[in-house]
Amino acid sequence: MSKLASSEYYDLVRTTNWTPSYVPESELFPEAMSGARGIPAEAWETFDEPYKVTYSDYVATQREKDAGAYSVKAALERANYIDSADPGWISTLQAHYGALAVAEYAAATAEARMARFSRAPGNRNMATFGMLDEMRHGQIQLFFPHEHTKRSRQWDWAHKAMHTNEWAALAARHMFDDMMFTRDAVSVAIMLTFAFETGFTNMQFLGLAADAAEAGDHTFASLISSIQTDESRHAQQGGPVLKILIANGKKDEAQKMIDIIFWRAWKLFSVLTGPILDYYTPLEHRKQSFKEFMEEWIIGQFERQLNDLGLDLPWYWDEFVRSLDETHHGMHMGVWFWRPTVWWNPAAGVSPEERDWLEEKYPGWNSTFGRCWDVVTENLQKGREDLTLPETLPTICNMCNLPVVGTAGDGWNVKDYQLVHNGRLYHFGSEVDRWCFQQDPERYQGHMNVVDRFLSGEIQPQNLAGALLYMSLNPGEIGVDAHDYAWAGIGKKNQAAE
Amino acid sequence: MAIFPLSSNFEGDFVIQLVVVDDAATMDEVASACAVHSVNRRVAPRPGKVMRVRRHSTGEVFPRDLQVKSAGLMPTETIDVIFSDI
Repeated sequence: MSKLASSEYYDLVRTTNWTPSYVPESELFPEAMSGARGIPAEAWETFDEPYKVTYSDYVATQREKDAGAYSVKAALERANYIDSADPGWISTLQAHYGALAVAEYAAATAEARMARFSRAPGNRNMATFGMLDEMRHGQIQLFFPHEHTKRSRQWDWAHKAMHTNEWAALAARHMFDDMMFTRDAVSVAIMLTFAFETGFTNMQFLGLAADAAEAGDHTFASLISSIQTDESRHAQQGGPVLKILIANGKKDEAQKMIDIIFWRAWKLFSVLTGPILDYYTPLEHRKQSFKEFMEEWIIGQFERQLNDLGLDLPWYWDEFVRSLDETHHGMHMGVWFWRPTVWWNPAAGVSPEERDWLEEKYPGWNSTFGRCWDVVTENLQKGREDLTLPETLPTICNMCNLPVVGTAGDGWNVKDYQLVHNGRLYHFGSEVDRWCFQQDPERYQGHMNVVDRFLSGEIQPQNLAGALLYMSLNPGEIGVDAHDYAWAGIGKKNQAAE
Repeated sequence: MAIFPLSSNFEGDFVIQLVVVDDAATMDEVASACAVHSVNRRVAPRPGKVMRVRRHSTGEVFPRDLQVKSAGLMPTETIDVIFSDI
């Protein structure tokens, strides 16, 4: 007996907006979870996903993907690539796994909210696959680094990071919680799948896959390429939801959700991906600068998608484009200077050759951020490592939970966008961070960032040791310079030998 | 006398930092306390210049002998520390 082609039955069988008889619709789809915004069920039934897949096809494809990634890992395991890899690349992997592996499980929860509560049957169907995708991403990104835990305890942070109060993990959780755990199904479709995944995941996974292949890390390249193929499918849930909102007079609301989460994602990627692409990846393996990746994958593609949907560029687009020359350089220097407070070993990435590259990619770098690195380099050459380590905390933005940074040196423009709200003084790293807060103060006002917790006495003793204890950073886990200062023409090991 | 947290935005540096001072400290003493975390760490010293403190939000330069408790600053409010000729 011949089978029907899936295109002949797909639309019919996934149209499952049945009429409930045991409970009213309002209980089956509570507004707080569904977020239908008064748009009728018939309108939600017009949701038309561009990528249709049946469960049996999905399972077959995923099985092949897993088989591919796991077999590459197995084949290369004995080559011990990691033991000969550049320390900067090791740091890239450790930062990536810690920031994302467990967060993928959080994304499974967000997908599950759409799978259960979305009013659009097609959205529920796609989100079921999306949920399974994210579980796979969590599992595979915990399994791959696990073999390296014998090499150092920092690898264990693939699982540990998100369960601690380490500052970068705290910043990531604040953003992911805002986007995935505390929003209705419609908001998740727009904020997670459209703005975050379409906008940014592409860059983390494609950009990093390109660098991984260049660096000879084929295991990691095949892993994240495998993940990206899932992302590019389930990221397409946001588009049809946006079309329905716009057609039903909710464009402004949709635009605001995009504007908020796009900026939040940008800040997170400026501290995670920016340093990796422009400082950690060995110079000879860099495919493009972070800014070039952003211009190709964000400015080009995301802008086109917004236009196609009839949406506007975020109101702060000019400021976003301007900050591509600035924010991640400041974030990188902050991570490096406060290196004892991260679970990886930051690579400074400012040897003379690397500085030439930075100056070429970011004209003026030497007279701005380079001025700070001049002082750091000189201190190391004079044997004053103590002056290259922190003795206080940076001021932390109350929205992105990252340091308040700006351009240093000759272009000094560092600015704190302060706000007094209900008698409390809040600090923000940009006008847009402050604007995000002002859109929904009740959502954000109670959160305490690391500095707030320090000043309230929650962190004891009130010194670096207390902060490390609070962040669960133990000896063997705290970050040190990835290359033992070789980039400064000096190294502790070299000094000892002399 | 009580401790008073401020946010230090030091000229030439890339980041704003938490600096805790005594509320009886003068603005010159505040500038020195802030310099500990920036000068010779990421900012080169500038001999012959005076470090002055100003309110970040308005640009108002404080008198050098003004005490923190008399400046009308909020705890953790951001101040700029700038190199000046006077």
